[in-house]
Amino acid sequence: MSILASLAPAIAQTTEFVRPAIDWHAFAPELVLLAWGALVTVIDLIGGERTRRFMPSLTGIGFLLAMIPVLTLWSQNDDLPRVLFDGAYMVDHYSLVLKGIFLVSAYVIVLLSSNYMAEGDYYDAEYYQLIAASVLGMLVMTSARDLISIFIALELMSIPAYLMAAWRKSDLKSNEAGLKYMLMGVFASGILLYGMSLLYGAAADTRLVEIADAIDTGETTPIFTLGVLFTIIGFAFKVSAVPFHTWAPDTYEGAPTPLTAFLAVASKAGGFVALVSVVLFAFPHQWEIAEPVMWILSALTMTVGNLIALRQTNIVRMLAYSGIAQAGYMLAPLAVYSKVPDLAQSSIVTYLLIYAAMNLGAFAVVIIAARKTRSGDIESYGGMFRYAPGITVAMTVFLFSLTGIPPMGGWFAKFQIFNALLSAETTAATVLAIIAAVNSVIAAYYYLAIAKQMWFLPAPDGDHSPIVVPPALMAAVAITVIVTIATGSVGVGLVGDATDFVELLASP
Amino acid sequence: MFLNQFLLFAAVLFCIGIYGVLARKNGVLVLMSIELILNSVNINLVAFGAYNQDLAGQVFALFIIAVAAAEVGVGLAIVLLIYRNRRSIDVAKANLLKG
Amino acid sequence: MIASTLLAAETTADVAFGTLPSLILVPLLTAAVIMLLPASRADYVKLAALIGSVITGAISIYVLWHFDVADPGFQFTAQREWISSLGLSWFLGIDGISLFLVVLTGILFPIAILTTEPHHDPKPYHVWIMLLMAGSMGAFLALDLLLFFLFFEVVLVPMYFLIGGWGHGNRVYAAMKFFLYTMAASALMLVGIVSLVFLAAGDTGGATFNVIELAENHQLSTLASTLVFLSFALAFAVKVPVFPVHTWLPDAHTEAPTAGSVILAGVMLKLGTYGMLRFGVYLFPEVVFDLGWIFMTLGVIGIVYGAAVATMQKDLKRLVAYSSVAHMGFIVLGIFALNSQGMTGAVVQMVNHGITTGALFILVGWIYERRHTREIAALGGLQKSAPLMAGVFTLVMLSSVGLPGLNGFVGEFLILLGTFSAARWWAVVAVSGVILAALYMLWAYQRTFHGPAVGENATMEDMRLSELFGILPLLVLIVFLGVYPKPMLDRIEPSVDALIEHVEERVTDFYEPEPNEVERVGVTGLIEAAEHGESGGEGEEDH
Repeated sequence: MSILASLAPAIAQTTEFVRPAIDWHAFAPELVLLAWGALVTVIDLIGGERTRRFMPSLTGIGFLLAMIPVLTLWSQNDDLPRVLFDGAYMVDHYSLVLKGIFLVSAYVIVLLSSNYMAEGDYYDAEYYQLIAASVLGMLVMTSARDLISIFIALELMSIPAYLMAAWRKSDLKSNEAGLKYMLMGVFASGILLYGMSLLYGAAADTRLVEIADAIDTGETTPIFTLGVLFTIIGFAFKVSAVPFHTWAPDTYEGAPTPLTAFLAVASKAGGFVALVSVVLFAFPHQWEIAEPVMWILSALTMTVGNLIALRQTNIVRMLAYSGIAQAGYMLAPLAVYSKVPDLAQSSIVTYLLIYAAMNLGAFAVVIIAARKTRSGDIESYGGMFRYAPGITVAMTVFLFSLTGIPPMGGWFAKFQIFNALLSAETTAATVLAIIAAVNSVIAAYYYLAIAKQMWFLPAPDGDHSPIVVPPALMAAVAITVIVTIATGSVGVGLVGDATDFVELLASP
Repeated sequence: MFLNQFLLFAAVLFCIGIYGVLARKNGVLVLMSIELILNSVNINLVAFGAYNQDLAGQVFALFIIAVAAAEVGVGLAIVLLIYRNRRSIDVAKANLLKG
Repeated sequence: MIASTLLAAETTADVAFGTLPSLILVPLLTAAVIMLLPASRADYVKLAALIGSVITGAISIYVLWHFDVADPGFQFTAQREWISSLGLSWFLGIDGISLFLVVLTGILFPIAILTTEPHHDPKPYHVWIMLLMAGSMGAFLALDLLLFFLFFEVVLVPMYFLIGGWGHGNRVYAAMKFFLYTMAASALMLVGIVSLVFLAAGDTGGATFNVIELAENHQLSTLASTLVFLSFALAFAVKVPVFPVHTWLPDAHTEAPTAGSVILAGVMLKLGTYGMLRFGVYLFPEVVFDLGWIFMTLGVIGIVYGAAVATMQKDLKRLVAYSSVAHMGFIVLGIFALNSQGMTGAVVQMVNHGITTGALFILVGWIYERRHTREIAALGGLQKSAPLMAGVFTLVMLSSVGLPGLNGFVGEFLILLGTFSAARWWAVVAVSGVILAALYMLWAYQRTFHGPAVGENATMEDMRLSELFGILPLLVLIVFLGVYPKPMLDRIEPSVDALIEHVEERVTDFYEPEPNEVERVGVTGLIEAAEHGESGGEGEEDH
């Protein structure tokens, strides 16, 4: 008794749990989406068939609701950055811009999916819930500044996508797409985790900033070097950088097209965010290892992606390879991140924003065209200007944006990449910029090939019946066209200034 | 502390796992090989955590175990789907799509 | 001198804000209006395009009218912040070098719209033409390096669609070739621009794309400025096109619809030579001074090669296209002669080539419309069935040949004069180009219009009055600028001299040509003297 009594203060001391102060506002976007996703799931459980047709709208509303706290957080400029959980989670301009990009992209993807899912014989309610879960992972990813939270966010983002890639259950191609995506994704996670475990071992902390500091003070050990390499390779799989890209075209072609858009845009962007966070926040002093790797990955990715894209005849595969090539452009600033960390970060964010708009738009047009042609062959786009001028003009906007022709957004994205590379003023960076410039010409060839089909060549079977475009798809095209043109013309200043906020915050 | 032994053991497991992923044709075996990789990571984390007197490593390992369960759940579901449609789980035979 | 330019840019900023932007905005708005018109009413569409382009042309004439002859700097400047963090601004201005190119653009577009008719889909056709007009205007007016580059790229798109959608024969191939060639060449230019801006950021006090500030302050090493200049030069050389990279031009010109050829030859090729003057010589005088001989050599090769190949052409339009290669060679020669006569001549020749070749393409287009062939062999004796057209063709052809008294002479004469004082033997070779031009042009004329008229040639319809009215402004200009070039030279010369002075300031061992008669009487006096067959001396003293 007396022993116990004497122990009581000690027990009380060890068991007394002080809840850390949680900044609910900073955490609100994720909470809103989580709560709404749970609500939608419950509604689906109760309503069943009766509520099924409301699912896309409900999910879309969820994404827009989650935008509200993002905007209020942005408006309270002075409070940023907000640090949560001892620096493991951070809300700053960088994460807010990205959250906005992810939420709007997700909304557009819901618009793309609604008709596709409703018209096929698919489980549509679950599909939207999985998208919401995956987007939640992306939102967490933008703010995660800790190896554990990055890992959790990455898996939350990826696992639903494995399922959705195999969504057309009876279609062998879709099965295969899901299998390849899942195996490669899990394998990449394994390599990534191995790298992370080494980083943790070297730094004795999982927070990115602590890792950076630990290595700054001590000298670089082989363990840490290996950790950096494995981590980068793991992410290279996720962002489909050459030579770790082979899963991407197969998965993109086999998966349902709206999901392909999701994978090629949102999911890839999520991987990029994680890569950028880890490289910039955890390896600021390890640039001697990371920069050459990034240089090689970037040069290989853009060149190989473009060269293979040249000989594609299926438009989805072509867009997949063009997406790989663009991942190469996005990797390029990381080859100079030690010299110009702020510019590297903001240029990647700019590219992600514009990349999302123009690629989602292109996929929207592909989905619309497939409603009539039932084909993904580039040749089936012949003569589209005759029977669908509006769609043709929209696709032209996206294609010229991808080519990098002003006043579409693509030029500004590329310009920012050049800015980041050339402001480093090193020979290697200049060479990479020249490689990127040459690649943009190669890319022009295959983008123009589509424009040529649509504008100049006759329809393959002389079928000139118009395409019926459902309102949801129309809205998706409208949103992406507006964003694509605005980011390259009137809105350039706005984008430039917004991403100018995005700057490296070395310490929490 | 005998940290090196743990690290070496984990590295061996990791390599076996990588080999399995690359060499095995059977979908389930590939998944098992990936499990090996994840377990080598867990060993690393726990060993480092004990060595550094830090709890985060063990917490990380717990997270990985949980997530790995989810991954394998999804993975087996997809493998089952393939099996239903083509009566085979040979990964090499899934080649309708040419990269 | 240039410091005062900068000052002038600041003082006139608030006075005329809006004039130059309207040159870009009016065609843009017209394109938007045309998009809203019903596709079935081709007449409305054409009328709208015509009105929009005429208004733009009128504004350009207004600028010409109010242009201050005495001021060599940039006038009508309009500057507005764009992306402050990147040093980008919306900076437009005009000086003696760009003035007449802007006016040329303002005149050629309405004429091209008036005198030609698309054979299908008039609505998108006119939208593309108006977008092309906006882009060309923007490129000539931009004083912000990046803004120029953007317009320089933008014009590719409408031209691509005009050639590919409304061209003849192998149009899709020609359109792709045109686009990829020019884009490939300009891809490195963007790298060059951004490099220049960052390398010069220390000298200009922060990154800026302002051409004036860059030209005044940048202190790039010889290697760096050579590399950046080469990236610029490649882009411009393909656009001009200079000899080894000219192969896109005959295809594009031949397959393009008439209006496309007119604008391509009249306006778009000038983007290349204008770029060389404004962004090559102005930004990198040292490099131009060192490497100018390369471009002069290429220019001379272009002159001889273009003329020789033109002589052998069987297709009338291709012949005109190759004559363009030769004429553009003269302009390049004049620019890199790096003296007042050569450069003034180059600017004059840019304008004259636009007028003359534009008119030639319009005429060839009319012949094609009537005879459905451009084969010189299939034509013949058109003089009898179409005397009016033969007369007009003669005038335009003689201008192209460079007959004294017509506009073509002024530019070529000045260029040869400038080249002669800078690099004697280059001028000697270039003169042969003038002789060859007379050969191929007169021969082509003879085969097309003389001889017996067989078959359809005998019954070909002559020029309609409306057509004569359409081309008349060009004919008037051909004669007027040939007889009385002084007002034009008066406006070009001060800006060119300012540019030369800038070169002198930057290049330490720049040598002035011996002050000879040329210096004494000035360019205008020389031209007048040459045309009146007198020796110089009575000309006005401009210096």
